[in-house]
Amino acid sequence: MNAFFNMNFLTELLLSTIRMATPILFVALAETYSERAGLVNIGLDGIMSFGALIGFLIGYKTGSPTTGILAGALSGVAINMIYAFCTIRLCAPQIVYGMAINIFAPALASFIYRLSFSDTSTLIQGVSMKAMPIPVLCNIPVLGPLFFNHIPLVYMAYLLVPATAVFFNSTKAGLNFKAVGEFPKAAETLGINVVLQKYIACVICGALAGIGGAYLTICYTSTYSEGIVAGRGFIALSAVIFGRWMPSGVMLACLLFGFCDALQIRLQLLSPSTPYQLLQMIPYLCTLFVLAFFGIRKSGPKANGQPYYREER
Amino acid sequence: MKKTMKTASLIMAAVLTAMSLAACGSASAPTTAAGSSAETSAAETTKAETTKAEETKAADSSKASGYKVAMVLDSSVSDGGWGASCYQAMVNAAKDSGWETVYTDNVATADFTTVMTDYAELGYNLIFAPGNQYTDAVKQVAEEYPDIKFALLNGTVETENITSILPDAKQIGYMAGALAGLMSKTNNIGFIGGMELDTTKAKLECYEKAAQKVNPDIKVSSAYAGSFSDTAKGKEIASSMVSTYDVDVMFGDASAVDTGAREALAGSEGRYDIGQPGDLGSADHKIIICSVVTDNAALLKACMKDVEADTFGGKTIYGDLSNGCLSIGTFSNLVSQDIQTQYKEIVDQIKAGTFIQ
Amino acid sequence: MKQRENLMKVIVPVLSILVAFIIGGIIMICLGKNPFQAYGFLFSGAFGSSRKIAQTLVIACPLIFTGLTAAFSYKCGVFNLGGEGQFVMGAVASIFFVTKSGIGGIAGILLSLLIGAAAGAVWGAIPGILKITRGLNEMIVSIMLNYVATLFMGYVYTTLLRDGSVPQTFAIPDSTKLAVVSKSFPVHWGVWVALFLAVAGYYFLFYTSKGFKLRAVGLNSTAAFFNGFPVNRYVLFSFIASGAVAGLGGSVELHGKQLRLMGGFGQGYGFDGVAIALIAQLNPIGTAAVAFIFAVLRKGASTLQTGMQIPTAVVDIIQALVIIFAVAGTALLKLPAIRQYINSHMGKKEVTN
Repeated sequence: MNAFFNMNFLTELLLSTIRMATPILFVALAETYSERAGLVNIGLDGIMSFGALIGFLIGYKTGSPTTGILAGALSGVAINMIYAFCTIRLCAPQIVYGMAINIFAPALASFIYRLSFSDTSTLIQGVSMKAMPIPVLCNIPVLGPLFFNHIPLVYMAYLLVPATAVFFNSTKAGLNFKAVGEFPKAAETLGINVVLQKYIACVICGALAGIGGAYLTICYTSTYSEGIVAGRGFIALSAVIFGRWMPSGVMLACLLFGFCDALQIRLQLLSPSTPYQLLQMIPYLCTLFVLAFFGIRKSGPKANGQPYYREER
Repeated sequence: MKKTMKTASLIMAAVLTAMSLAACGSASAPTTAAGSSAETSAAETTKAETTKAEETKAADSSKASGYKVAMVLDSSVSDGGWGASCYQAMVNAAKDSGWETVYTDNVATADFTTVMTDYAELGYNLIFAPGNQYTDAVKQVAEEYPDIKFALLNGTVETENITSILPDAKQIGYMAGALAGLMSKTNNIGFIGGMELDTTKAKLECYEKAAQKVNPDIKVSSAYAGSFSDTAKGKEIASSMVSTYDVDVMFGDASAVDTGAREALAGSEGRYDIGQPGDLGSADHKIIICSVVTDNAALLKACMKDVEADTFGGKTIYGDLSNGCLSIGTFSNLVSQDIQTQYKEIVDQIKAGTFIQ
Repeated sequence: MKQRENLMKVIVPVLSILVAFIIGGIIMICLGKNPFQAYGFLFSGAFGSSRKIAQTLVIACPLIFTGLTAAFSYKCGVFNLGGEGQFVMGAVASIFFVTKSGIGGIAGILLSLLIGAAAGAVWGAIPGILKITRGLNEMIVSIMLNYVATLFMGYVYTTLLRDGSVPQTFAIPDSTKLAVVSKSFPVHWGVWVALFLAVAGYYFLFYTSKGFKLRAVGLNSTAAFFNGFPVNRYVLFSFIASGAVAGLGGSVELHGKQLRLMGGFGQGYGFDGVAIALIAQLNPIGTAAVAFIFAVLRKGASTLQTGMQIPTAVVDIIQALVIIFAVAGTALLKLPAIRQYINSHMGKKEVTN
């Protein structure tokens, strides 16, 4: 137990938390944008796996991690356009299309992987993004390595949080955006192009989710294996609801989850006699308990999940 | 307007098809990426695979003996671990014997029987099931198709048409543990398991025993990833072992998870990994100091010979050091000659059964 | 008019299946395979012999159960995404009962199925209770519980009830296996249970007053509330009922097909069930039909892979495309602009609301 109070252990744990929370944060932010515009997208897992593959593939072929990330973002957008078209234009049920993407995208990713790499006995090593320490700040005793010695993408993820908050609360574009998710008909009468805003939301969602996936295969590890996403899309979904659709809350939710996940691995090492499955339940049970304790009365943007029929006045 | 909607959806579908076509195109066209050997061999294997597939359809090649073997795998063949090495083993064994090979991977547990039945119906002579988890399915299908032969890796079943192939998990554990004990400078070594298979537990136990025999101060940290494919988790587990316990040699039984672990080890100096079941290292490898090689191909070849000679079934084929199925892999230059000699002596002792009583 | 609408409801899914198959065919040509031969394999794999049809039905069975779970709960307005967890917990409860109590034979089977259904009901009640008392979104609670259930099952077959050298539980005793119809048509009786539930569900939802009330709550809970319906109670009831169906499905799968718990048990059934229910537009009988189609694709995919080395990913893509097109088509028909077009085309006056 004294391992807990070892400073090294704690720093490592927190570092791990930040690392493990980042991909979830990207995807959770993606979903926040989407749901704020009234579109529930449960196909995040699928978009992530596709982004992970394309990011890996392009990174491998070009040798540049940044190109890979960009490719991941673009591929996420491409896949999400299927969702966008069917739910916005055709007003089809959003849950179904999320599901369909979850089946379609990983299958397509696996297919393309097969075609590109065939069968080898070792996992192909792709490119890896290097950490970029911020010059002066990273030398601060404890906080330095914790906050200021990360891969650029990690910085981007955490900077996106206040950026999103500012966008939603203080900019006109952001307020219009939110209006689309709350009262689309009212927004339309105010001259806001509801359909366009929804499409924009889908583009942002697809891009961020794609980046989250590409992060897994370029920054977090530098290989692609089927199943690398490991259900993170659904965790992100929960994080959005947990964080009450606010960027700050979402970030806290992701950090909580990352913390529990990092903790659970270390607990396994500390007490090898405890069945590892029980320890692995910790993140999920923790989320549930915290949720149940605080309760959530707010149920999100009012027009969330509802198709928007422009013709109905 | 309905027409435009339909055409729009069709266009979308066409776009997706175009994407897949592009993927097809990229596989055959040579790329200008840094000409790494993996890349060129991948392109070659793609070509080889398509030709092999055509051969399979035509059912006649230069060396064909007319026999066919099929593998059913619940993980992926490109997992860099168990699946990949079993596939390689089958391909190598088949090449030497002139058999055709085919496989289905990523098979869900509920589909084991379905896939095996399909192969049986298609008349494959030997069905290779690389793991104990297929036992139920193999027993069921073997009963319904007594003419089809089944090779069960890590199995314990012997019937008229089922042969079990059993590489010696204990010896694998001893071999890995001995080397880890010799190489570790911090006296802390690590082990990552995928799922808690009995073979994994045996390997861990013997890993610990052997390491402590070589170096009584050795401490072993172990963890189970709960998956054979979550590379990221492997990386996390390895980095926490390194930072919390100062582990400097690791050994894994978790396929793709091990690859993640190796990535974590690559991040620090002086951290090493022992690979298995294929020969994953090389002389200039910075991380993998050696591998414990399981020659599943030789074991499978023995099965194939049996099928051809009609002497199949009713036995368990053991794979261990004495029949060459287990062997030491390629040493990296990081392992001094001194340690290499010491290690080879220990392995001889393991082979003779005198290492650990 | 209603006839025409119903005709459209059937034509659209069929058309979308065709389009999906055509695209799949294009992908196969790109791979260098003959699509006609491939589809031949697919269909012969699913229908080729009575034994194969039986296998397809066996694959469809759990999908019908989870599909009904989703259909039932959605019809009542609750998003029960916890089908997988409830399925698994049902099976876990059953294996505990069978291994510990030693009761065999028909009594054993019936009791075990009941206990499975009860376990599923309890697991399904959790998100329901949390929704009613704490206002929690049931989607996230049920998804979390899915993970917890699967991990718990992992604990059970790795440690608690482990049998032998691989992580799996003991097999259920022979006397508690569900019987098959016949040797040449080896489908277990569980399928009949599933189909019965589908018909019963349909009857309940559309022909009884209780079912009507549940549907009313689903369509507009505020209006229902103001009409004096005890909304909370109905919501809880839908969770419990749909959970019970899933739990029963898990039990049936254990007794009829898998015979023991091991890694990968029940994987994906929950979400597949959701997709199935939504394609079938929440109609219980339609759900059974769509589940069967999914099973055909699944069985056919495996035959396609073994027979022609076409990666299963291709059939997954086809399956996803079927979903995409089928639902797009139905949604397309519901669009007001399209409706107008069809109505004017049919020569009827548009009914303004």
